Amino acid sequence: MNVDDRRIAICQRMAAERLDCVVGIHDGTHFIETHNPVMVLSSFKSLGPAAAVLDRVGALTLIVTPAWDAERARGGCPTARVVGADDIVEALGRELGSIAGRAKMAISGLAAVSWAVASRIASAFPGVPSADAILFDATMTKTGDEIAYARRATRIAEHAYQRMLEIVRPGLSEDELAAELCWYTRTLGAEDNFLLLCSGPHNRAVQPSNGRRMQAGDIVLAEITPSFRGQLAQICRTVVLGHAGDALRRNYDLVIEAMNAGIQAAVPGTPMSTVCRTINSVFEARGYGKYCHPPHIRRRGHGLGFASNQPGDVSLDNNTILAPNMLFMIHPNQYLPETGYLLCGEPIVITESGADALTAKQAALAQIAV
Amino acid sequence: MPKAEFLSRIEELWIEFPSASGAIVYGDSRHHAELAYLTNFTPKLEPALALISRFGPPQLLVGGGANMLAAAKPLTWVEKLAPLRNSGSVVAQWVSEVTPSSSPKARPVLIGSKSAPWALHQQIFAPLGPEVVDVTLALHRRMRRKSPGEIRALSDGCTSLNAAVVALVDAHGSGADVSTVVLAAEHAARRCGAQDIRSLFSLDGGRTLHPLTATVDYPVEALQVYLAVRQLGYWVEGFVVSTNAASPTLTRTQDVLRSAITSVRPGRRCADLARMIADGIMPLAAHPVTAKECGSSLGLMFGGPLRLSADSDDTFAAGDVLSIRVGAANERGGAIVSTVVAVQDVANSVLWPASR
Repeated sequence: MNVDDRRIAICQRMAAERLDCVVGIHDGTHFIETHNPVMVLSSFKSLGPAAAVLDRVGALTLIVTPAWDAERARGGCPTARVVGADDIVEALGRELGSIAGRAKMAISGLAAVSWAVASRIASAFPGVPSADAILFDATMTKTGDEIAYARRATRIAEHAYQRMLEIVRPGLSEDELAAELCWYTRTLGAEDNFLLLCSGPHNRAVQPSNGRRMQAGDIVLAEITPSFRGQLAQICRTVVLGHAGDALRRNYDLVIEAMNAGIQAAVPGTPMSTVCRTINSVFEARGYGKYCHPPHIRRRGHGLGFASNQPGDVSLDNNTILAPNMLFMIHPNQYLPETGYLLCGEPIVITESGADALTAKQAALAQIAV
Repeated sequence: MPKAEFLSRIEELWIEFPSASGAIVYGDSRHHAELAYLTNFTPKLEPALALISRFGPPQLLVGGGANMLAAAKPLTWVEKLAPLRNSGSVVAQWVSEVTPSSSPKARPVLIGSKSAPWALHQQIFAPLGPEVVDVTLALHRRMRRKSPGEIRALSDGCTSLNAAVVALVDAHGSGADVSTVVLAAEHAARRCGAQDIRSLFSLDGGRTLHPLTATVDYPVEALQVYLAVRQLGYWVEGFVVSTNAASPTLTRTQDVLRSAITSVRPGRRCADLARMIADGIMPLAAHPVTAKECGSSLGLMFGGPLRLSADSDDTFAAGDVLSIRVGAANERGGAIVSTVVAVQDVANSVLWPASR
């Protein structure tokens, strides 16, 4: 599938729901947990708040802020009519003003923008239904480009992990390590990196880094999540500063076993919840069932945006049926009482026969001589 | 910042809103300037709410579950942390607890509430009713005036910005390709302790600006770059042109910028400065990037509440820290230069120099 195919699918859905246009709105702050309907419709990653309007015959208007970014938008989305604006809501009003009240429209992305923006849009276009399902159902599977970009992002992540192994040491602060890795992924072509990196003798969760200086014996957790051309990929890794004791090695083997079981279970036609259940069963069989639920664990993986996070979380309540070209993370990432939180995870793409990890080298517990 | 500074900021809030029973402050990973201003806390993943009562210790509700509290603790002076759960009922309960029996109509004020997503806003703030007002704009007026500690933080940011520019000019001067030049600047800032750095650059003589989303493996002679650095939570920014060639457009923008620096003084209207800059670059046209705004205040928010534009109603005041930009366009592209200035009663202090 390519982006044109996706747009055709959206238009078909619009026709079925007798919609004249769908509008995507985004606030320009690109966050791993938030869908971006503007990117879904245009593949353009904006600098500021942006909107995209797709009509029923597939014509696209892209509204970008700040206004001076319009020329870059034209280059990035050559098939769209681009409008530069200073206020996204006013610009949307101008674009849609002539058809509001006559045309049937739906809006995607309102839930994620601020109340200040959402309330102005709701006021300007009262009673307009949500287009979230229309847009994001069409993104359950990735385009060929998105998968290719995810492969590039995965390679970048793996190189960054290698760099991490070269430089991590007691005395280095989490922030210093994180800053270096973020910059390093930039040198490899990543335009962004959602990095979670933390350390401690017994981590309760993986968290953003702070100024804590790492010490011998620490377990360092890293979710390295670079973005290549707007497509995220992620690897989850665990490093111990020093020698890994028996409990740590045993527990890490367990999380690897759980991850591999999940990857084996991820076949087309299977509900996503089965993948989660399979991972949980590995821990439950060893008596860790209590730790398979909040507050210890929320999900066993997730989709990878920035445009769309479909097919959603690897969780017990997600019954999305897996299909070829779905892309998501499988990461057990489990808290275990003897050792604390441990990370392992790979980005996988569903194929006709199962799941392929995008990584060249699977997670393994790394030990750094100190 | 020392805890005393935050307590002082909160005290000023009560002076401005003498009938407020407290303050409910919202922040998330995207909008957190006000929350950081009052609690030092910057949410990284899930949102956070500060419940600051007039009497008694404040509490910080942190999203992400109980396991995130340990990570949040070092990032704030607030000692009472709890998970952000059932926020609507928790907030409603807190509001009733902080309402003094002697003033049953007293209400808390809201700060940052309009930045919350719709669903969260409906859950937490809408049920409080219209008599609970959002006073974010009033806090922004206070946030404009920087304390000595804040000016030190901004100065640190400018030191990192300067290091970035030095690295940029050195790399550019050595003939490096654009990606290498921009990344050298970013690396230099990171090594100085920058928490975040954003960059834009031009490949067409300064006409348009682009983020680094793909490798640019060739050099350009005159390289226009924009850098924004976040350090200790505070943002600074700078526009610079690295070139060896003579450029009348660049020279004009630099001359106008020097005049602008000396003309900023407390009480002067921002609109007058904007018009002075626009007049100064004539007959050249204003650069599209700076045509509507020739600067803004700097601080915890990216692009602060004070905007330097011809239609601004604001005036400068001692304590403002500004980014002043001068941009001009020509047939080959254009040039933008900028400076960071701390406005003072006697003589302004240039925290970051004008273009090199």
